[in-house]
Amino acid sequence: MLPHAEDPWTLPEAAHLLNRAGFGGSPDEIKVFHALGRTKAVDSLLVPSEPPTAFPRPAWANEEQALADMRGRIEQRRELQKSLRGRSPEEVEKIRREAFQKIQKENRRHALEAQAWWFRRMLKTREPLREKMTLFWHDHFATSIQKVKQPVLMLYQNELFRRHAFGSFKDLTQAVLMDPAMMLYLDTQNSRKGSPNENFAREVMELFSLGEGNYTEQDIREAARAFTGYQLNRLNGKVTHNRRQWDESPKTVFGKTGPFTGADVIDLIFGKDRPARFMAEKIWRFFVDENPPEAAIDSLAETLRKADYQMAPMLREIFLSRGFYAEATVRTQIKSPVQFLIQLLKQLEISDPPAGFPITAEQQLGQVLFMPPNVAGWDWGQAWINTNTLLTRYNLAGFLTKGAEADGKSMEMERAKTPGMAPAPKRMGRGWKGPDYEKIAPRPLRENPEALVDSLVFRFFQGQLPDKARGSFIEYAAAKKGVIFTDKETAELCHLMLSTPYYQLC
Amino acid sequence: MKTRREFLRSTVLGASAAWTVPMFVERTFGQLHDASKDLAVQGVTGKDDTILVVLQLAGGNDGLNTLVPYADDTYQKLRPRLAKKEKSIIRLSDYVGLNASMPFLGSLFKEGHLGIVQGVGYPNPNRSHFVSTSIWETGDTNNRSATGWLGRYFDNACPGADPTVGISFNKTQPESFGAVKNPGVCLNSPELYRWIHGGGEQAQAEEFFAKLNQPEEDDDDAPVSGASIDMPAGGKPGGISGETNLAFLERVALDARVSSKKILELAAKHKTTVRYDGFPLARNLNLVSRMIAGGMPTRVYYVSHGGFDTHNQQVNSHDRLLAQLDGALKSFFADLKQQGNDQRVVLMTFSEFGRRVAENASAGTDHGKASCLFVAGPGVKGGLHGKHPSLTDLSEGDIRHTVDFRSVYGSLLADWLKAPDLKPILGADYPKMGLIGA
Repeated sequence: MLPHAEDPWTLPEAAHLLNRAGFGGSPDEIKVFHALGRTKAVDSLLVPSEPPTAFPRPAWANEEQALADMRGRIEQRRELQKSLRGRSPEEVEKIRREAFQKIQKENRRHALEAQAWWFRRMLKTREPLREKMTLFWHDHFATSIQKVKQPVLMLYQNELFRRHAFGSFKDLTQAVLMDPAMMLYLDTQNSRKGSPNENFAREVMELFSLGEGNYTEQDIREAARAFTGYQLNRLNGKVTHNRRQWDESPKTVFGKTGPFTGADVIDLIFGKDRPARFMAEKIWRFFVDENPPEAAIDSLAETLRKADYQMAPMLREIFLSRGFYAEATVRTQIKSPVQFLIQLLKQLEISDPPAGFPITAEQQLGQVLFMPPNVAGWDWGQAWINTNTLLTRYNLAGFLTKGAEADGKSMEMERAKTPGMAPAPKRMGRGWKGPDYEKIAPRPLRENPEALVDSLVFRFFQGQLPDKARGSFIEYAAAKKGVIFTDKETAELCHLMLSTPYYQLC
Repeated sequence: MKTRREFLRSTVLGASAAWTVPMFVERTFGQLHDASKDLAVQGVTGKDDTILVVLQLAGGNDGLNTLVPYADDTYQKLRPRLAKKEKSIIRLSDYVGLNASMPFLGSLFKEGHLGIVQGVGYPNPNRSHFVSTSIWETGDTNNRSATGWLGRYFDNACPGADPTVGISFNKTQPESFGAVKNPGVCLNSPELYRWIHGGGEQAQAEEFFAKLNQPEEDDDDAPVSGASIDMPAGGKPGGISGETNLAFLERVALDARVSSKKILELAAKHKTTVRYDGFPLARNLNLVSRMIAGGMPTRVYYVSHGGFDTHNQQVNSHDRLLAQLDGALKSFFADLKQQGNDQRVVLMTFSEFGRRVAENASAGTDHGKASCLFVAGPGVKGGLHGKHPSLTDLSEGDIRHTVDFRSVYGSLLADWLKAPDLKPILGADYPKMGLIGA
């Protein structure tokens, strides 16, 4: 076990846990969380506290509707084929193209709805760690809607990750093998006896469980034959293992020989020592810092193995450990775009972001949900930041704090376009007035620049800032404090505080 | 040589609280001239040096309908709907011609200012957009490098710390700019490449903003605590080993700040009588030309032109994309000529891969391997370079590369950008191609 953090814990420690294990919170939320005490607070993150129906799916994603739609499309295609008889090639092309565009348009609309649905869930959930782990799995078993094309399958995969959020890494890997979105993404759908596709076999070892150097090319070639025969039935949405398409001949993987199926290969992988360490390291990088100490990984890998790959005990161990709360760890992680956005909205107590804001911001900052850049997932940490994304973060904060009128119309000018995606709505952000500053900075507080700044520093940073920065904020607030400190001055102060390198860390 | 941190501090930060960027740039040049006067080459020097513009054709450009092997029966046979006939191309040789959507490039070729490299690619090609783009951008066919070929050029051949050594007009930084020390800057539109205050008392707000976005004075040698800090930083996109995230953020913030005002100012200043089209590539090349006119010390500009993933009904869309490219380059080179800067600029196109020789069932083409690329400008050696790949000796339906893309990079780095040593940039020696010089 990792050395335990000592009790009692401090308010900044509670904020740190809520930031890293979730997406932060308002000062009130942090205080409530702190009052639980460290152990209870950690445990509260790991038990279900809201009904599975708390966030109803978009109507098109309900199973019956989705199946009906899928069948409808097949039926339409049949009708289309019939109607093409006797037409000229040009006409045929035109009709086909129109039909294709119609489907594409619907898919894009659904994709936007799915993205908005998940973002809203991350913002509003009472189970933040579950959403954070869902995001972790989405990055780990990276799958992109750009290739999968069917938003409903991405949403089902998302629900799979959520169900397995704290469950067994091994079971989840088995489930991912049979997950329709992954099958389309890594081509298992088209991998059959005689013409195996190596895509899934390679990534399941390299990226999902073992890491490079822990298998041979021979293992991949042999395993690819085992991963044949998995098929998605588009009529009923079920995935089956079709024995007739499966290569039943013996394979030799990791020195063991047998007529393995794909599921057998995954069992062989998890029979090795490596996956536990691999996962412990990755989880440490995600939640703690980029340089996992050997000793910590030894301990966590042991915990993971003992728990038969259940994630919850390992997560609990991390969040109760002294290392997690160490000075070198707190406020040193570069926020991902999603973390930046959700945390900012929570801190500004905006429960419903301006329509279209999240997706536009995600596109500008380089992390669009359901669209990781490739099967390796996103590059985290410093890769999020360049001169353009940093200024964009500052300006997005300006838009949220000051409102659509006062921010120089940056959002309107920046209608985002990402290939394969519908552009963000044209009227995005119009009429956005900014947050409720009476709540964020009550009038009496504005009388005293120092108290105002300290209150806002806790809201936005929850920790020590360099004296220089705090001094600058106070100086600015004092300079602004004319006869009345209106919402406008408050917004300007908030924007200045958010336009700093410090705010990019959590 | 001073460290970057020391350098920036003694220039921009040492100036007054009012962070006048022109002063910064002026001092930069002074210092750099001093720092580099004994070196074989000067790095970031401004006014008279050579400039490379890298133009990405994103999505996988169909090289065979760009530089058309019109006289090849196999081409005609495998592309019954897509093949260009001899009468509808710009003839360059008995075998190949340019797609007729590119009349400007055709005339540039005749003047000897367009080089076309045929059959560019790399061993064991990858057909994934992402992977192959990474390979081109990093110059590493194993796709393991954390830095890009241009970033390594900035780090190794451009002394000084001016962040505007490379500018990419992109939302996100191209992987090719990934660097350990100086990754250049990245911007989408100059109007938004700044801190937008939008409230009252702009100057005052900006002064505070500036103060908050400069590195701490005294944290250079601050002791770092924690057992994990000493470990090497691995697998990250560039970055200085051991640098904290806060120090990194402060560095980027400073780069953004010192580059933004200058860029905004120059973007507004230079006027041209040359007309540019309105689509993104033309707009971005217009910006590049304004930066050049304004005397930016930038050695490399990077722009993109997207939409080349033509799986479906490609005839019109592909021709249109090439016509846009042609039109944008026509305006760009006319503009440079007007400024008197055309001799200083070479432009190179690249795309992550070419496309399958045979057209597909929906009158488009699927992901392929080798392709062609352009090098343009008065400084280049015009004509056809490399050997056109055979259309019958195929690899999985694709033409095989005859030129390694790193040979192209090597030529431009050594002969145009005057990089003294290619080893640290490309990792190995590749056969040189005479792409530069009349």
